[in-house]
Amino acid sequence: MKKLLLFLFVFSLTIFIYPEKNSAAENLQAIIDSLEEGAVLKLEDKTYEGNIVINKELTLIGKAKTVIKGDGTGNVISIKASNVTLKKLTVTNSGMDRNSPEEYAGIKIYTNGNILEHIKITHSFHGIYLSQAHHNKITYTQIQGMGKGEIAAQGNGIHVYYANHNLLSHNTIEGTRDGMFFEYGNNNESYENNISDTRYGLHYMYSDENIFKGNTFTMNTGGAAVMNSNRLLLEDNHFIVNYGNQSFGLLLLQANDNQIKNNTFYMNQRGIYIDQATRNAIQGNKISQNQIGIELWASSNEQVFTGNLITENTISAVTIGGTGETNFWSHEGKGNDWGNSFPLTDLNQNGIGDFPITYRSSLYQLIEDQELSYLFLKSPALAIYEKMNAALVDEKVMFNDPHPLAAAKGNYNLILFAALGLAAVLILIKGRHLLCITFGRNGRKI
Amino acid sequence: MHYIWKEWKENIRGKGLWLALSIIVLISVSILFRSTALSFDKGFYVLLINLFDTIIYFIPILCLFIGAFSIFQEKEQKTLIMLLTKKDSYTSFLLRKSLGLYAVVLIPILVWFFLYLLLLKFNFQLDMKAYFIFILAIVTLSLVFLQMGAAIGSFSSSRMQIIGYTIFVWFYFFFLHDFILLSFLPDVTHENVKLFSSLYFLNPLQSVRMFLETGMGVYSFGHMSRLLKAFMWTEPVFFLLGNLLFWLITSIITGITFHRKEGFE
Repeated sequence: MKKLLLFLFVFSLTIFIYPEKNSAAENLQAIIDSLEEGAVLKLEDKTYEGNIVINKELTLIGKAKTVIKGDGTGNVISIKASNVTLKKLTVTNSGMDRNSPEEYAGIKIYTNGNILEHIKITHSFHGIYLSQAHHNKITYTQIQGMGKGEIAAQGNGIHVYYANHNLLSHNTIEGTRDGMFFEYGNNNESYENNISDTRYGLHYMYSDENIFKGNTFTMNTGGAAVMNSNRLLLEDNHFIVNYGNQSFGLLLLQANDNQIKNNTFYMNQRGIYIDQATRNAIQGNKISQNQIGIELWASSNEQVFTGNLITENTISAVTIGGTGETNFWSHEGKGNDWGNSFPLTDLNQNGIGDFPITYRSSLYQLIEDQELSYLFLKSPALAIYEKMNAALVDEKVMFNDPHPLAAAKGNYNLILFAALGLAAVLILIKGRHLLCITFGRNGRKI
Repeated sequence: MHYIWKEWKENIRGKGLWLALSIIVLISVSILFRSTALSFDKGFYVLLINLFDTIIYFIPILCLFIGAFSIFQEKEQKTLIMLLTKKDSYTSFLLRKSLGLYAVVLIPILVWFFLYLLLLKFNFQLDMKAYFIFILAIVTLSLVFLQMGAAIGSFSSSRMQIIGYTIFVWFYFFFLHDFILLSFLPDVTHENVKLFSSLYFLNPLQSVRMFLETGMGVYSFGHMSRLLKAFMWTEPVFFLLGNLLFWLITSIITGITFHRKEGFE
């Protein structure tokens, strides 16, 4: 009888004990620990509490609403075993403490051969952190930061630290400090990523021989900043509207032997900004509607510019800090297409202009001495200022293209020009009074 | 209200307003066609910046003409004398006339940009805040130049004078103002940068542009130097408001002080 009563008492206690909040979540780590090596765990459509450490090879697959929420004190998911696969998860709430011994991330990878697919990361210091991790694949992730203005209080979308041979593709990163930051990371490949509203969309430091293709950078403070990194390939990327007092599409700083091919630089403060860089090949790029197409500091030598379309920029190219004569504006008889910026004839129709283009300007001095000059780059007054100074001040050669390419047929907006022309003709053709009639007298002639 | 109604009736009969509006419509549609290749999510901003950069050449001169000729027409048709001999002073006439002008010019523009938004919706991901800022920029620009136009209309005594003054004002803000500042640029230091900045933002084109580009989040002012911080000593929106007030008040005072009641051919 006593035993029966004791049993009933204990049993009744279990009824009153408050069930653990998200008991499944509490147990995610336990479930992972209980799994065998190589197991596949399918998660449900709910929120699991982190943080979790994965220390064996396994696959975690979530559903549309599967969330792993960290406790805000560390990495939400730490991958410490190789060949782990994570798919379809939302990861949120990593530690944000900047005084901690390490920088936290939504997902921190310490090992090789892992795969991350369709992961969404929010409210985390870094999005994904690769720490001495090689041969990982990170694809279709979406990382959301705190917004463009926040630099110090948050980390990078994808942070690559001493990590090589990783593949990063089709990721979308928005509002983090830097979109992708490579520090001592070599031979990594990045394709078709979309990075916006960050400080630098792409930031390479001491990282060599990486490939960066087909990525789009919009509305960052700087599109891509390549610093102290060599032999990179940047191809088919789009640098669009990276616009601000310090902004640029691409910055090459102390970066050598890089290939910048077939990229589009559109509406940036500076399309390409080159400082203390050597032997970079800039080829086949379209550099248009930037305030300054190419800003070249004289500390840079032996860049080769060939086959680029450089047109409709406020200033096509400017050399600052001395003469830039050690850079080459044509290669093997092929220069650049300067579009409408410089009139050119090609009477023998060989695709190469009949005479070299030399651009002289006095603006370099103003830009060099006074940073506020950038505020005038959109002003039509700049053209007049240039013309006036042409006669008065000693101008310097900004570039000399010995073999400029004959301009491809311009894509003028014919409708606009035709209509405006028609309006102007109509106004003028009817004599000088028409303007007054048009705007006054109730449209009546008196 | 009578003035607005009168202004409206006069303008729909005239061609000026329709010419101005059709130019704006034409430009915005052609920019839309040019921008269809832009990306869905960010193309909206590129389009607005491009549209603003193009339209900024037309709105000032059109508003100047509309404002100036609207006032001058009252002189030519002797309606000004009639209005003033009743109970109106010139000040109240000018203020009411200005309100009429604002309503008549801005309402069609606002209607058009509302329709334009519908067209944009098919091509881009909209950002209503950015669009609102764009509209605000256009409205401010129109207000400033309409009022300047009204002032020109007030003190001009012939149509040739109006054309001359209008072109001069347009030319001044497009070229001369910045050109003068560019000439002083090498002498700008931390001590006098605030004055320089005030003069820079006195140009409606610059203050409107700065407001638009920073307001839409396109232009980023990160890591500013000490000089640049001193240059941007207040928010772009306050530069814009200051500019708007300054030019409205200056134009109204100029219009009232130097007005002439008679106009001739």
